[in-house]
Amino acid sequence: MAKFDLTHKLGQYLDRHLVFPLLEFLSAKQIYDETELLQGKLDILSKTNMLDYAIDIRKQLHPNAEVPEDLKIKRAQVVAELTELQNEVELVYKLMQNEEVMQTMETMRDPKVLLSHLTKEYDFKIDMMDNLVKFAKYRYECGNYSVSTSYLYFYMLIMPPTDKNYLNVLWGKLASEILVQNWDTALDDLNKLREFIDSNAFANPLQVLQQRTWLIHWSLFVFFNHAKGRDHIIEMFLYRPNYLNAIQTMCPHILRYLATAVVINRSRRNALNALKDLVKVIQQESYTYRDPITEFLEHLYVNFDFDGARQKLNECQEVLYNDFFLIACLDEFVENARLMIFETFCRIHQCITIGMLAEKLNMNPEEAECWIVNLIRNARLDAKIDSKMGHVVMGAQPASPYQVLLERVDTLSVRSEALQNLIERKVKAKSQDVSFSHVHFDFNLIMPVLTEPMEQ
Amino acid sequence: MSRFFATGTDSESESSSEEEQVQRQPAAAFTFSDDEEETKRVVRSTKEKRYEELTNLIKQIRNHKKIKDMSSMLSSFEDLTRAYQKALPVIAKEESGVTPRFYVRILAELDDFINEVWEDKDGRKNMNKNNSKSLGSMRQKLRKYIKDFEKELTTFREAPDGDDEDEAEEEDVDSDDSDAKPVKKTVPKLEQEKAAKKPAAGDDGDESDDSMDWGSDSDTSSSEDEEDIYTNIRDRFLKKPEKEEEETKREKKERRDRGKRREEEDDGGVWETVRGGVAIPSEKPKMFAKDAEIDVNLVVRKLSEIMAARGKKRTDRREQIELLHELQNISELHNLGPAINFKIRLAIIAAIFDYTPKVSDAMKPEYWTKLLDRIPDAMDVLLANPDMQVAEEILEEHEQFDQEPYQIRGCVLTVVERLDEEFVKLLKECDPHSNEYVQRLKDEIKVTQIIDKVQTYIEHQNKPAEICRIYLRKIEHLYYKLDGTVLEKREGRMPADTVTSVDVMERLCKYVYAKDNTDRLRTRAILCHIYHHALHDNWFEARDLVLMSHLQETIQHSDPSTQILYNRTMANLGLCAFRHANIKDSHSCLVDLMMTGKVKELLAQGLLPQRQRERSKEQEKIEKQRQMPFHMHINRELLECVYLVSAMLIEIPPMAANDEKEVRRRINSENFYRLLRGSERQNLVGPPESMRDHIVAASKAMRNGDWSLCYNFIVNETMNRKVWNNCAQADNVRTMLKRLIQEESLRTYLFTYSNVYDSISMEKLSQMFELDKPVVHSVISKMIINKELIASINEPSQSVVMHHDLRPRKLQSITLQLAEKVSNLFELNERRLNGEQRRQRLW
Repeated sequence: MAKFDLTHKLGQYLDRHLVFPLLEFLSAKQIYDETELLQGKLDILSKTNMLDYAIDIRKQLHPNAEVPEDLKIKRAQVVAELTELQNEVELVYKLMQNEEVMQTMETMRDPKVLLSHLTKEYDFKIDMMDNLVKFAKYRYECGNYSVSTSYLYFYMLIMPPTDKNYLNVLWGKLASEILVQNWDTALDDLNKLREFIDSNAFANPLQVLQQRTWLIHWSLFVFFNHAKGRDHIIEMFLYRPNYLNAIQTMCPHILRYLATAVVINRSRRNALNALKDLVKVIQQESYTYRDPITEFLEHLYVNFDFDGARQKLNECQEVLYNDFFLIACLDEFVENARLMIFETFCRIHQCITIGMLAEKLNMNPEEAECWIVNLIRNARLDAKIDSKMGHVVMGAQPASPYQVLLERVDTLSVRSEALQNLIERKVKAKSQDVSFSHVHFDFNLIMPVLTEPMEQ
Repeated sequence: MSRFFATGTDSESESSSEEEQVQRQPAAAFTFSDDEEETKRVVRSTKEKRYEELTNLIKQIRNHKKIKDMSSMLSSFEDLTRAYQKALPVIAKEESGVTPRFYVRILAELDDFINEVWEDKDGRKNMNKNNSKSLGSMRQKLRKYIKDFEKELTTFREAPDGDDEDEAEEEDVDSDDSDAKPVKKTVPKLEQEKAAKKPAAGDDGDESDDSMDWGSDSDTSSSEDEEDIYTNIRDRFLKKPEKEEEETKREKKERRDRGKRREEEDDGGVWETVRGGVAIPSEKPKMFAKDAEIDVNLVVRKLSEIMAARGKKRTDRREQIELLHELQNISELHNLGPAINFKIRLAIIAAIFDYTPKVSDAMKPEYWTKLLDRIPDAMDVLLANPDMQVAEEILEEHEQFDQEPYQIRGCVLTVVERLDEEFVKLLKECDPHSNEYVQRLKDEIKVTQIIDKVQTYIEHQNKPAEICRIYLRKIEHLYYKLDGTVLEKREGRMPADTVTSVDVMERLCKYVYAKDNTDRLRTRAILCHIYHHALHDNWFEARDLVLMSHLQETIQHSDPSTQILYNRTMANLGLCAFRHANIKDSHSCLVDLMMTGKVKELLAQGLLPQRQRERSKEQEKIEKQRQMPFHMHINRELLECVYLVSAMLIEIPPMAANDEKEVRRRINSENFYRLLRGSERQNLVGPPESMRDHIVAASKAMRNGDWSLCYNFIVNETMNRKVWNNCAQADNVRTMLKRLIQEESLRTYLFTYSNVYDSISMEKLSQMFELDKPVVHSVISKMIINKELIASINEPSQSVVMHHDLRPRKLQSITLQLAEKVSNLFELNERRLNGEQRRQRLW
């Protein structure tokens, strides 16, 4: 299963600390050799200050070896430095302890006013912020994420986005929130960061691309853990051209997560369009990236090869089971994928044998019959079972032209009315203003639209 | 052209074409009345007769020219063209269709004259009404007429240019003896006439006897001609001594020149003798006096003196080259170090470049080969001394020749760029189907070697901007060549670490992308890169590069040669997409090129025939300069065929689905439709001959759902020969085509005949179209899902059931269309309102 494992690809775009959960997950799955994984963890740790953790792992790796001296020395150093830094930000720490101050800070929106207020009242100096950031970073390096979140939160309240540290702080905040698994705030931070990257024109387009790629990878943590994440992932990855471009150029493997999100989001509004767009992208990138999940969609929606889709669905289950982000939605995925197969099948067919259907859906015939009966009972499917022949006969015929026509025209009048109201309101609001004559022009154009459906 | 005639007109008259004026009475021309012509016909051959007619008319025109009698000139010119028309069969027979030299000459003269008069605005104002009117019509007529002789004219105009110097010398000599001049002037004329008659005499089997010839001539002339003959004879006597005189003069002059040169060559150190021939300030001989100590400074000063004469009007360019060589020998003899050596070499190269005076003309082959020798030599010197610095920024005052690090002003990069341009010019000069072209093309190896050398040097210097430029040169020599090792590597027949041209391109282009800041270089590099990928079937890489570069949006603003490169790239990308069975992409790549019908022009593979003087001469010249050399051309027949086949595969099924009258769909491939409609209009359609015929026939077969017939029209002996054999990986393409034709025919069949079936078995369909059942299933499923086919599959019986009751009736389908239009309109309004809001927010 190592073939479809993406950890090494994802790892390139993640922070050291963010890789740990992934590695932990892998060691639990036992796909790779345990000692190798431990060694890998140790390598990652060597650049951080999480020395206790490093010592632990070392012990696991070499149970008999003594803890080397330099590690101990380094630990002492780190502790010393930490206290030193802590002293420097003492004032801020006190401020943060003060409930009252924090409340005023949160109510005060304008950073400038806030800053002057703090300087006046509490002897606060802007120079302290540098130290603050340094300290937060140090805390983070030591694995003390929750502390650094609160410091960074303080920073973000005070400093304007033009500050040189602002971007770093945003990243740091996001990482810490992810690591303390505070998904709501992480989502907020993610959005803030995205806005910052999108709005702020970096000098170098390459840099922007890099930032976006990172953001895409980091956001996976949030999206697959937050309740609303699945909506957001489609919205961000598929419908923001910048991010879609970034995926296509830098990291096509992200398509796996996007595809999964689309599949499990099948019942939502606009899911069909999303699916179509996604299939287009998958086809375009099929030469650089393919895995069972993308292939499943390709088989189902491009080639209408149900046998292939079934096979891929089998593989998908395994891939999902071994993926850190996706394991949680395994069942949901399988269920939705089955429904997708079945739905497409029904749209094409008039009459299907249950045996064949069961085969296509990876079920045994009785189970399949049961499943279909359930579907019919829940009125998600208009069909009848011919138990003598073992057939399912579709009830729903393709819509007649008359129905199609009705569908097309149905919403039109309502929507037109809404539009008309909007314009009328606008015209009323601006009626004094002469310069808005063009609105009248629009109004004239809309008139025929309003009348025509009526005539029909 | 008969040899005698050729020498008669070419060598003699051409050398003095400019000053040549006819001295005789114009009346003489009128002496040949029609009657006489008839009597003459008995004796003279048609050729003789026609030529005489022509020459007489030419004479007349020259006379009119002298007195600027436009109206008579116009009529004479008309006569001339008519006479030429008459003479055409003779010319075709006798001279294998080559336009006689004297005729071309008169055309050239006329053209010059008319242009001159036309330019002279004051003169034109003073002209009387009749004359100026004639001038206008004359100008137009001539222009129109000359177009047919364009090629001859250009070769003619070039030839005198080449002989410039000789002519100038001759002129010098001529001016000495002005009294002999008037007589001499008539000579060429006479010569020519004689020449015209001579072959005729030869026809009578009497070649050697000159007097006999003349005798016969005088016999045929009537008595009225006597005066004419008399002058002829007189001239004949006069001519010989004159000619001799001239010849001796020329000889003398040559001898003098030769002597001069020999002296130069013999004793290198003695410079006093040389100065006579060169227009160089006269102080210099002192510096190189026999006993002078020759050192670096002296040579440098000398060099700058020689170079000072560069570009001046009276400078003898050939001698300048000689001088520089001499200087080089001296410096080598005295061992003055590599720097000065290189400096002189650079100067020599520059002098050779200067030798060709016009930028638009190609240089002469002998100088070209010289260049190819000199530049590598110079580069070797440069590479052997890594601490030598050659740059444009170094001022002359800061040059250092005597000690390291050497500092030299100059630029090897420009030398190479110039060399490359000259090479392309030379290639364009040759006839692409001749051996000469192949010979010339062999020089490309040398050119690329030189580029490589310069590249090593510049890489050593490490100046990104210059490296980019030299890389681009290299890229442009590389991008259109197919490297066989790439394909072998892909198939695993070569070790994976072989460096192929794709890898080289990748490296060079990436450097340019990263370091270039002129944008133009980058654009060109990207285009070449895409081209190269497309050529080697790296479809995805090529496509991604196109998509990422966003060149489609900005290409209109770039220079023409880049646009041409863009067109070439798109053409190749289209071919590549086609080979990868991406028919839609292929079509969209090619459609822009094909829509205009000016493929030839867009790809710079030849000029379009001129219609109503669309472009001026200058424009045409510029366009000619842009043309691609022949070996870089893209096969247009293949291009068009690929485009048409893609159009067929895309357009035919929808055509079958929709009644054309009912739905005026947006037509994507106008050309293809035009072709189809054109053949439909014909009453009687014969068996296909051309490539287009074949495709039209195939399209018709496909419309009837007959895939095998369609396939046979697309792939057969003729089409293989005409098109597919020129396509890379032809076998793959043919199998791909077969599959696609089967699929699309199946679709067309279903569209066309679904109303006759109630249900149809998929088994049957897969037999009919020789497709696998899953493929049939997949095609039909796609059609059902996309609502193209109103049917559904009955799985137990493996058949497709048509729903006829759901097929929209006429009224319904019209209503549906209306509904669609209305909703479109609504959406338009909505969008407009949104746009309005957005704009308001912006305020």
